[in-house]
Amino acid sequence: MQEKQQEPSLLGTKYEDLARGGQIRGCTMDSSMDSTRSVRRTKEEKKLFRRQIKASHTLLKHEGISTASHPTKHLVVSNGGLGNGVSRESLLEVLKEGGTVESLLTPPAKPYAFVTYSSTEAGQNAYTLLNGRALQCHDQSVTLYFSYVEKVLEGFVSPEEELQLLQAVDWTPHTADVTVQKALKHRRVKHYGYEFRYDNNNIDKDKPLAGGLPAECDALLQRCLADGHISVLPDQLTVNQYQSGQGIPPHVDTHSAFEDPILSLSLGAKTVMDFKHPDGRSVAVVLPERSLLVMKGESRYLWTHGITPRKFDVVPVSEVEGSGVMTSDLSNLTLKRRGTRTSLTFRKIRHIPCNCAYPSVCDSQLLSSPPTVPVAEGDACRLEEQYVHQVYEDISSHFSSTRHSPWPHVQDFLLSLPPGSILADIGCGNGKYLGINPEVISVGCDHSANLVQICVERGYEAFVSDALSVPLRSGSCDACISIAVIHHFSTQERRQAAVRELVRLLKVGGRALIYVWAMEQEYNNQKSKYLKEGTTGASVERSDELKTEENMFNQQEEHDRKMSSDMKCTEEQNVTQPRIHIHTNRTAFLSQDLLVPWHLKCNVDKNKGAGSGSTNGPLENTSQGPVFHRYYHVFQQGELEEMCCCGVTGVKVLRSYHDQGNWCVELEKTHGNSS
Amino acid sequence: MKLLTHNMLTSHVKGVIKGYPLIIKATEVKVNELEFNGQFVSRMIPKLEWSALIQAAGWLGQSQDLPSTLIPDYENDEEFLRKVHRILLEVEVIEGCLQCPESGREFPISKGVPNMLLNEDE
Repeated sequence: MQEKQQEPSLLGTKYEDLARGGQIRGCTMDSSMDSTRSVRRTKEEKKLFRRQIKASHTLLKHEGISTASHPTKHLVVSNGGLGNGVSRESLLEVLKEGGTVESLLTPPAKPYAFVTYSSTEAGQNAYTLLNGRALQCHDQSVTLYFSYVEKVLEGFVSPEEELQLLQAVDWTPHTADVTVQKALKHRRVKHYGYEFRYDNNNIDKDKPLAGGLPAECDALLQRCLADGHISVLPDQLTVNQYQSGQGIPPHVDTHSAFEDPILSLSLGAKTVMDFKHPDGRSVAVVLPERSLLVMKGESRYLWTHGITPRKFDVVPVSEVEGSGVMTSDLSNLTLKRRGTRTSLTFRKIRHIPCNCAYPSVCDSQLLSSPPTVPVAEGDACRLEEQYVHQVYEDISSHFSSTRHSPWPHVQDFLLSLPPGSILADIGCGNGKYLGINPEVISVGCDHSANLVQICVERGYEAFVSDALSVPLRSGSCDACISIAVIHHFSTQERRQAAVRELVRLLKVGGRALIYVWAMEQEYNNQKSKYLKEGTTGASVERSDELKTEENMFNQQEEHDRKMSSDMKCTEEQNVTQPRIHIHTNRTAFLSQDLLVPWHLKCNVDKNKGAGSGSTNGPLENTSQGPVFHRYYHVFQQGELEEMCCCGVTGVKVLRSYHDQGNWCVELEKTHGNSS
Repeated sequence: MKLLTHNMLTSHVKGVIKGYPLIIKATEVKVNELEFNGQFVSRMIPKLEWSALIQAAGWLGQSQDLPSTLIPDYENDEEFLRKVHRILLEVEVIEGCLQCPESGREFPISKGVPNMLLNEDE
């Protein structure tokens, strides 16, 4: 994921990755030039020179650059490229010595540049004077080699390819297309690979279009792969044709529909594309003819892009400025009439939800219809299935790696059990507590098969089960623990039932220990570890998390404010259930029923855990994994105790306390037949 | 799944009265070596359903002349304790299933883990 602002990159020509500053040696040597040169070179030097020429020609050929044997006004300057660390300014200074420079093209990351002089004579003069010239750039010296070229290859595709591609698009309208274009009233559009739906701005992933992408695109896509712009071939293509005066409104390509990056090839004419950041910043980018636009990271996910419907564009005057971002130098601008531009936008269909770092504009992460607190048993089960069970299965190994430090009070409870006691850990997770007291016969159960697997791999006894219906005989346990479990039940009835189940398992005189997340994270002026980690700023990544989640929360609040008017309408019909908000990690809980984000980290080192409790674990690499939401009902002071006293019979509360952001209760079973 | 766990497990299918013990149908059984702790084993024995343990051992073909009823003074019988240690803690069912004796419902055991989850309608 890009951390810094990523502006879209423009590629002047196709290229190999020579970013390490590989230099091209040699140049074309006209035999007629030999005499003027021979004074300066020995026989050996001439031999070396010729070998270098051959090598450079091969290299240039790979680049699609064929050198000319006769003088022209266009020259390729090997080693004079941005990829060699040579700046435009320093190169231009040298080139001007040869004559009047008409244009200079410095393709990004390339080990060469193209210069066009005002005349063939000037080109020849430059060649004679400058070939072999050493250029001092910063702390290094490069040798510039000049070769004549027939024309400057300014484009990711050659003019021949451009023609081929334009001809490949079959504009014969099909009925569906005609309707769409009529509705659009603007540009002509054609899709390949998958149907794009304009009603919801998304792809119909179940309706692949026959034929795939046109074969004419294969070569340029392979080039994109080879150049490292993409790692997988795109499977969707949208062709847009803009007449002068037509444009496309600013938009972000739907996150859930397409992966990253998105490529756009401009054919037929240049245009100006406007990029806008949510904070108001705006950047105008000239897209020259035959250029490839690569939108990656922020530029794909966060900035909107659009083309204002215009007949003329304001562009820089001199070609010397070339393509790229437009500067604010107003003296250097002119109007240029737009030609007909055809864009080929290549995208890869996304099949898993988007997990970008910009949740505020992400349709995958922004819940379009956030869940409400359930009432009916069926709704509760479904909510818990989606926001508890499925999540723990998906995050199990990362989760397990962050759960290794037993909480001291729980440890004390376990160590206080007489040897030979039977202990059941209901909701045992990764088995953290199963080995604490080796004198005790411990068995654990959890809803997550993946987590239970981890327990068994560690040598503990565990099985997969629901906490509301545990397949152990009544009265078979001397002790039970339920640590950070009951807060995952989404109704009061179910939470109560969970406590009753624990009590059922106990023999008379047996004890249970229950821990649930407290709404009050600060107690006795002591911030819980969970909150503390939010304010220390110990990890930069966490504050980024906070930021993105705050945005999401604010987005949620905004969304809710808009929704509140809707709620009023339904109130007459039935009681509207409160919405379950997405919580911002490491901040105080604002309501009792929440979805708490879990940022899945890949390649987690199981040995490096982060403290106890509900932390998200350390950063191992900068690439963000998907965000998962777990449902919690956080308990208010006294709520758990009341549930145990009043909701359950046959128990007495031994202790009730607050521990590190949890409400805790220790129970003793006083008599059997608790319902 | 070790037989210690099996001794505790029961069928919780709705309406079932006689769901214990669950019938073991094993397709893969492993015997591990675990450090013997005589004191630990003798403390465990009173907590067990002895007849269920004998049945389970039989299903796994691991009866190994274990008595059908508990012998008196077993605490001091190391040979006996070692046999109990082995059957309870060293024999492990890796693949197979547990069947409810009343309803016939089968709960799978996979990679040593029994899955006792019931469907919504059960």
